[in-house]
Amino acid sequence: MSSETALGTVRGSSASTDSLTGVGMVMRFILRRNWLRLLIWAAVLAVMIPIVYGSQQEAFPTQAARDAYAQVANTPAVAAMTGLPYAAGSLGGILVIKIWMTLAVALGFASIFLVTRNGRADEETGRTELLRSAALGRYAYSVANYLVAGSLSVITGLLVSLLCLTLKLPTGGSWIMGASIAGTGLAFVAISAICGQLATTSRGANSLAVALLALFYFIRAGADLQAIGTDPSALSWFSPIGWAQNMRSFGQDNWWPLLALLGLAVFGCALALRLETRRDLGAGILPERGGPATASALLANPLGLVLRLQRGSLLGWLLGSLVAGLFFGSVARAMTAVLDPENPFAKSFVGTGHNLLDGVMGIFVLFNGLLAGAFAVQALAAARSEEESGRLESQLAGSLSRVSWLFSHVLVAGLGSAVMLLLSGYLTGVSSQGAATGGAMAADSLAYWPAVLLMLGVMLFGQGYFPRHSTGIAWAVYGFSVMTAMFGGLLSLSTDVIKATPFGAIPRLPAEDFAPLPLIVLSLIALVLAALGFRRFRARDLMPE
Amino acid sequence: MSTNTQAISVNDLHKHFGRSMALAGLNLQVEAGQVAGFLGPNGSGKSTTIRILLGLLRADSGNVKMLGGDPWNDAVALHRRIAYVPGEVALWPNLTGGQAIGILSSLRGGVDTAKRDSLLERFNLDPTKKARSYSKGNRQKVALVAALASDAELLLLDEPTSGLDPLMEQVFTACIREAKEQGRSVLLSSHIFAEVEKLCDTVTIIREGVTVEAGRLDDLRHLHRTTITVLLASNASALGTVPGINDLVLDGPKATFTVGAEDLGEVLEALSRYSPRSLVSAPPSLEDLFLRHYGGLPLESAATTSGRHAHAHAGGAR
Repeated sequence: MSSETALGTVRGSSASTDSLTGVGMVMRFILRRNWLRLLIWAAVLAVMIPIVYGSQQEAFPTQAARDAYAQVANTPAVAAMTGLPYAAGSLGGILVIKIWMTLAVALGFASIFLVTRNGRADEETGRTELLRSAALGRYAYSVANYLVAGSLSVITGLLVSLLCLTLKLPTGGSWIMGASIAGTGLAFVAISAICGQLATTSRGANSLAVALLALFYFIRAGADLQAIGTDPSALSWFSPIGWAQNMRSFGQDNWWPLLALLGLAVFGCALALRLETRRDLGAGILPERGGPATASALLANPLGLVLRLQRGSLLGWLLGSLVAGLFFGSVARAMTAVLDPENPFAKSFVGTGHNLLDGVMGIFVLFNGLLAGAFAVQALAAARSEEESGRLESQLAGSLSRVSWLFSHVLVAGLGSAVMLLLSGYLTGVSSQGAATGGAMAADSLAYWPAVLLMLGVMLFGQGYFPRHSTGIAWAVYGFSVMTAMFGGLLSLSTDVIKATPFGAIPRLPAEDFAPLPLIVLSLIALVLAALGFRRFRARDLMPE
Repeated sequence: MSTNTQAISVNDLHKHFGRSMALAGLNLQVEAGQVAGFLGPNGSGKSTTIRILLGLLRADSGNVKMLGGDPWNDAVALHRRIAYVPGEVALWPNLTGGQAIGILSSLRGGVDTAKRDSLLERFNLDPTKKARSYSKGNRQKVALVAALASDAELLLLDEPTSGLDPLMEQVFTACIREAKEQGRSVLLSSHIFAEVEKLCDTVTIIREGVTVEAGRLDDLRHLHRTTITVLLASNASALGTVPGINDLVLDGPKATFTVGAEDLGEVLEALSRYSPRSLVSAPPSLEDLFLRHYGGLPLESAATTSGRHAHAHAGGAR
């Protein structure tokens, strides 16, 4: 009897350590598949610190300039977008205003994508099943995933702190700066871990986690708009981003909100593991709904099928451009009040236009253009994924020609981006200067369509000539265009170089005068690339993964 | 043979991917109204051939005709008259199986709803489920229902029963027989010998992109030897001297050997002199035929293997 009990106890106790067997092995496996991705995220985020610090040192070279800025810094626009400017009179405080929110939110996105990629996405493709059938503890895979994703936050935070220290910023503030950014990342590791248990697909998990990130961002934006002076409102404690903001690096330097972020990280990951043991491999906690037993007339049409497949993403992007248009318009006026036209930073950012408001509007219209460009690339990447998955094969085995299939996708991407440009432009105009400017601003926004079409041209050329790399190359071209158009001035690139890139080539309406030539040239290049891509796609072998 | 009696005619087909040769002079004939088996090990070029027939891949050289048309140039028109079932069915994860059937059918010019519904019932498939929740077998059923519900003249089936349970395989067999009765042609690529033996009129066996055996299943059987196992009253070693006996394996009074159709009479006459107690004869199965061509040997040494057979056959039909 007694020996049996003893045996039972031994079994019981070993079970808890068994469930972690192989964590190290899986971590090495995940790192091998993701090291470059992790490296790029950490490097790109951390390097923003010295770049932005340099530009701000140039913009506010003297204490007098910083004091003057501190007087006007606290506007609703700044509060809503980047948080309360509690230390605008110091370079550290200005650094927080300019880059903290971007870094924290970007790290949140990075954590979400990483956790989903190595969690739900692997489960969806069946890789997890294969690994779990090996001698691997029940929690090992997920714990390893959370640890790797968490390590990105820790390393990025450390790099941020060390770079701040190298720039001779105050020691306490430097450490809090890194810790608050890392804490945000860790909180979103936990949030996406839970989302990965609730949803059945990687797309669902990512959408749910990104929606939560947006929700928490807007909660803290509301809190910061409500705040009196630069004291945080109680509402900010309802958002983990708010907790991290309340650490106030280079201000009060609070350590204790970090405990709440770490608590959320640990508790959230533990909850995710608990949920994981409650469900079957491949299943989600949220129920899977049934659907129609037959295809509607819409689906029977190739264009209708593309619309149906892109429905969620189309609605999401249209909603995004609606929110962006309203937001840009409403902050444009406030921003104009803040910026000193003689300030070199303001000059490099808005250019030397007719007036400051037009300059600011020029930036926001450019933002609208960039958003539409991202939509276009993503919409055509969906075409490539039809080929990659093998679904295109079944369609082309029917009486559908390659040209009409690809053209349906181009039509949705091209017209969808035009609608996005008109919508966001119109709303930017209406919300900044009243209904009368709506039409003009929609037209200004549409001027970016040729640049968007060029993105489509690049993607189509790739779809013809190097389909396996087309998506990566199109995103790289897009990323490069965004960097030069948005930060070209900040990075001290010459105007000629900026004007030679797709989004930089378009006259920055309404700040600059309209010139048709760049639009015509971009459209022609797009047309040639698209024609070559179509021709090659008609003649080549189909290439599934 | 004129082209209008042929559903598929492939002659000397070549195709390479980068440096690797996928097809190196493949021949394949499917006569109208017949079910043709297409056999070969993994990677031998079956799917590549079918994808060329579908105009998804472009042939390097060779003569390919399907339903009298060119598979690459006339793809869209030809595809109204054919139906295809891939071995690995990819569906839209967020659409239901029923929607996928509708989409695939509409690309073949509409759907016969009564036929579709009866197929859904026979294959026991729930069309309201999202495709992501389907097992491999259920995804396969979606493609089968879509293909069989159409009134295609030619069915191209690439390992269509992979993932189906034996019960569903039976349903599939019945459906193909019905398709044949309706006068349709079928190209059936398969790994399952029993399935091919049950359904097919002709067989083409390929290996490393080359056709190694083709013809009517009955004729092919004829060319190969019957396996005989006998139990004699005395030690069977005396059989070693009987002409026409090949591959002799002795085990005391028991002997197993093969014999060509042309020698069967003489061998049986000789056997009777050794007073056999029992005799079991097995016709050459498709599996024997298949394994004879493979047996894990690369192509060059297979040539010597068939040379040995030819020698054993000395003066036989080959």
